[in-house]
Amino acid sequence: MTDQEPPILEIEDLSISFFTRDREIPAVMDFSCRVLPGEAMGLVGESGCGKSTVALGVMRDLGRSGRITGGRIRFKGRDMADLNDRALRDLRGRDIAMIYQEPMASLNPAMRVGKQLTEVPVIHEGIAESEARTRALEVLADVQLPDPERILRAYPHQLSGGQQQRIVIAMALMANPSLLILDEPTTALDVTVEAAVVDLVKDLGRKYGTSMLFISHNLGLVLETCDRICVMYSGEAVETGDIGDVFDRMRHPYTQALFRSIPLPGADKHAKPLVAIPGNFPLPHERPPGCNFGPRCDYFEAGRCDARAIPMRPVAGDDRHRSRCLRFDDIDWSRMALGGVDATRTDPGEVILRVEDLQKHYEVGASALFRGGETRVVKANESLTFDAREAETLAIVGESGCGKSTFAKVLLGLETATGGEVILDNRPIGDTPIQRRETATIADVQMVFQNPFDTLNPSMTIGRQIMRALEIFKVGGSEAARRERMLDLLDLVKLPREFADRMPRQLSGGQKQRVGIARAFAGGARIVVADEPVSALDVSVQAAVADLLMEIQRTQKTTLLFISHDLSIVRYLSDRVLVMYLGHVVEIGDTSDVFSPPYHPYTEALLSAVPIADTRVTKKSIVLEGDVPSAMDPPPGCPFQTRCHWKSQVPGDLCETKVPEMVRFGPEGRHQIKCHLTRETLEAMEPVITLAAE
Amino acid sequence: MEPLSWTGILAPLVTALWIAAAAAAALAALRFAAGFVLAPAEGQANADGTLTASRGPLEWLEQAAFLALSAVAGVVLIFVLGGAALGLEAGLIGGIFRRLIPVWIALGITLAGSYLLRGRLGLYGKLFDSVIGTAGLVLVLFWVFAAVFGTFDLIVTHNPLGQSGAMKNEVPGTPYTRMIGETAEGAYPVYLLGGDNLGRDVFSRMIAGSWTVVQIAPLATAFAFMVGITLGLPAAYFGGRLDTVLTFLANLILAFPVILLFYLLVTPEIVATGIPTYMAAVMFLFPILFLTILLNARYHTRPALRLGLLAAVIGASGWLYLSLVSERLGAVHILPDWLDLFDVPGGILVVFVSVVFVNAPTVFRIVRGIALDIKTRDYVAAAQTRGEGPWYIMLWEILPNARGPLIVDFCLRVGYTTILLGTLGFFGLGLPPESPDWGSTINDGRKLLAIYPHPALAPALALLSLVLGLNLLADGLREESLRD
Repeated sequence: MTDQEPPILEIEDLSISFFTRDREIPAVMDFSCRVLPGEAMGLVGESGCGKSTVALGVMRDLGRSGRITGGRIRFKGRDMADLNDRALRDLRGRDIAMIYQEPMASLNPAMRVGKQLTEVPVIHEGIAESEARTRALEVLADVQLPDPERILRAYPHQLSGGQQQRIVIAMALMANPSLLILDEPTTALDVTVEAAVVDLVKDLGRKYGTSMLFISHNLGLVLETCDRICVMYSGEAVETGDIGDVFDRMRHPYTQALFRSIPLPGADKHAKPLVAIPGNFPLPHERPPGCNFGPRCDYFEAGRCDARAIPMRPVAGDDRHRSRCLRFDDIDWSRMALGGVDATRTDPGEVILRVEDLQKHYEVGASALFRGGETRVVKANESLTFDAREAETLAIVGESGCGKSTFAKVLLGLETATGGEVILDNRPIGDTPIQRRETATIADVQMVFQNPFDTLNPSMTIGRQIMRALEIFKVGGSEAARRERMLDLLDLVKLPREFADRMPRQLSGGQKQRVGIARAFAGGARIVVADEPVSALDVSVQAAVADLLMEIQRTQKTTLLFISHDLSIVRYLSDRVLVMYLGHVVEIGDTSDVFSPPYHPYTEALLSAVPIADTRVTKKSIVLEGDVPSAMDPPPGCPFQTRCHWKSQVPGDLCETKVPEMVRFGPEGRHQIKCHLTRETLEAMEPVITLAAE
Repeated sequence: MEPLSWTGILAPLVTALWIAAAAAAALAALRFAAGFVLAPAEGQANADGTLTASRGPLEWLEQAAFLALSAVAGVVLIFVLGGAALGLEAGLIGGIFRRLIPVWIALGITLAGSYLLRGRLGLYGKLFDSVIGTAGLVLVLFWVFAAVFGTFDLIVTHNPLGQSGAMKNEVPGTPYTRMIGETAEGAYPVYLLGGDNLGRDVFSRMIAGSWTVVQIAPLATAFAFMVGITLGLPAAYFGGRLDTVLTFLANLILAFPVILLFYLLVTPEIVATGIPTYMAAVMFLFPILFLTILLNARYHTRPALRLGLLAAVIGASGWLYLSLVSERLGAVHILPDWLDLFDVPGGILVVFVSVVFVNAPTVFRIVRGIALDIKTRDYVAAAQTRGEGPWYIMLWEILPNARGPLIVDFCLRVGYTTILLGTLGFFGLGLPPESPDWGSTINDGRKLLAIYPHPALAPALALLSLVLGLNLLADGLREESLRD
């Protein structure tokens, strides 16, 4: 790849604005980038920074209110502005293909997959249906879908999420495009599926020589897939360059702040906590003068940084590495100023929650019309045994469909257990539905939800919602006392007291999540189930909310059950980790034990699937085949046997016939693994993640 | 005295109006045709990121068409203002506009006030951003004010029931005489919109008829909503058998031919059995039930406040309920006469019952559909995990967030009910035979439609404009609630 080769895509000083009823909202300003043939360009930034708008601008698909107000986009040397609608239609799908976040939304649910695939070359190249079909079969083999003939005849809803996304990728490849735009292609998928799809995208990029524009908020993912990266902040590119240069020798304070706020291996909640970026993302019409990042920047210099618009400047010594910072030569980049050491470490106390052999089955009638017949059983939780101590963070890890949410429902009393026990303070609560629980028990076990935009009632003020929880938990004798307590709770979650009278829509995602936390702690909760509390938040906000949870936990001695599939944040936050698969606990132990060998084969795969935004890390690549089996019809024997890499190491048909016993390691047998592999084999496993010595 | 012309001394303006209208139509057509040939001028992007719209021939055409349209509006405004000022001098139009002066004043005050405060009025305030919504609002408010002032005798010119032997089927503008050859002293000098086949004043009957609609349609629709919401929420929330049974019942009622149902309900034999009264007794219970559950769910954590509130609400609404249901000579006579606040005429009660009965199932289905979606939200789960009762969740967590589509549907449904009332009147069902309501008057006028169209035309246009207004209002609300 040389500079003489003409770039596939060349964007120069692009500005895009949306025009609303009240005002013009500039979404992208002065954006430039070049994508060379065969190169993968990563576009990284928080939501609202304009990265998707750039992609839509390249496709010239900005809707009625969006307009390109400046700059030009050249595709293979042709100025896109010169093309009329017809030429653009020919270009889209044929030369430039786009892959969106939600696979189900990109496929027509009323059309068979085969029809949708063959349509692409039939329309764009006018080839015969049969020829197109042959090509569809080839492409399906390329995206590693089993049984292509069957898949061609299937409707989209008959496929799993991972398979759907592969179909979407196949559809994009059908016309053999020269540029592939991927807009958060794996955000809606599980980690192991994500890893497989990312692998696939990388391989296809190599095989077809397609250039890629890869949009993501996940730095780890970009590191794994891309050659070059462009970091965006508030409508501007702030730093661009070779992936290695930007990751190891970043030259913009925002990039640095981003890296400090994501949990990389080595971060530790006690010794090296994450540093959240102070302040809030500026609204598009309230951008500060000069540097957009200025008000939140550690290195801000009044009179210089806010004087005038700041251009991109090349960084000396690196190839095509540019930064939009006036002071990058003055800043000492080697000093990675991490937060002060937090000495107060709380030790876990008494066991307050014990779960013994918990089982939850749902019966699904075979047919609603004809009773009788065979009723099918969904085995959501098969056998769960663990305990949780006071002031401890126990992470529950597993892919969707493994029974995490069902367990949370049983614990909260929204469902009752089919078998086994849930014991809170020596009182069994597994059989007691929430209507029959005492107020104190209900207040003790509360939940923080995943989606900040869904967690608050949109038509009630923040204060009212917290006060309602106080009323229900019988806290405070009078309206005035409850209002006082509500304001205290707002203080606890570090929100200004004025927010009491605001409506949820006036708050940002992170602020809403804080209100959700305040509401959960209204009755002095002792156990809080946090269901992916930060996964829907932006990277820079995640650290702040996670730290808030930790801080409240320290002061209130709360037990945190942290449900997540993001192993990076789990490693950072939790004291112990429980790995679930198909309703079974397959591994449980202290965080450091679970993250180092011996592993359960499933944990090993999970670890290798997590993208890590650190160039020093080398990972063993283990890609799981297929999807999580249906809980309606789980495999006999070990639940993981259908996808296990290590199955050949177990003699006989042990894996197919018998559920393994827990193998115990470490002092007091605190680290347990549910596997048929011999103790020796398990102990001989190699670590998945190795950090190169500095 | 000669019959009055339509425009009187403003007649020269008619030519101006036609010219302006023709110009506007021609220019609009030209602009439409030119759109196929000419391309719109590109906005010029400036260095600071703003846009400057440049003018091409297309933009000029657009501007001209707009000017012509403004001219039409200006002439119409002169008609309105001139008419209101000159009265009968300006012909019939002047006379009508003059009679409607109270409506213009009320309309002006309401619209100006709402427009000035629109920033603080939520969705209602945003309505003024949409031309369609504003037009609908104006039409609806016009009829509401006309109906209200009509009952205060401010607008009607003659007794809507009074007949005149001399005025039978006379055309609009005919001078009023009580008997042939006898001039009436002190009475309004003309029949503004002519007389009907019994010599009654069409204009006065049209205004008086609007009161029936404005009174019954929103109230009946509100009752239908109470019934639909009180049944639809639990059907969605609990699901299972309850849902199956309620949905089946709703389908059953919806499958029954509406007109047949009305005929059945108003048949004297059926009325005599008291079935409509019993149905009313059941349906009117729902609002009380609804309010009681609503307040109880919210305030059961604060017993003192709850007791007071519930006592007040149940007391007041219970009394209203008993007064409504209890009838001196009807099938249900519970309340002693000295406590009975009012009696609703039997016919109106039947109309009310039938309208609620056929509307409630549709509302039920809409509420059920929205609630099924909202009940999967996290804030509902959050309410469940803090141990809220099902009714609190339904009425305070789900219902307020379903309000957008429900408000839009309410407007559409009031329009539908208005047509329903017209249909009932047209068939002479429920309402007394002399009643000035629009349906009955259209039916009366229908018989001589080929010779004298005006007695049927006036109420028909009134019905059309009110329902159109409601539909436009619903459209505007939907459009504005979708925009952020």
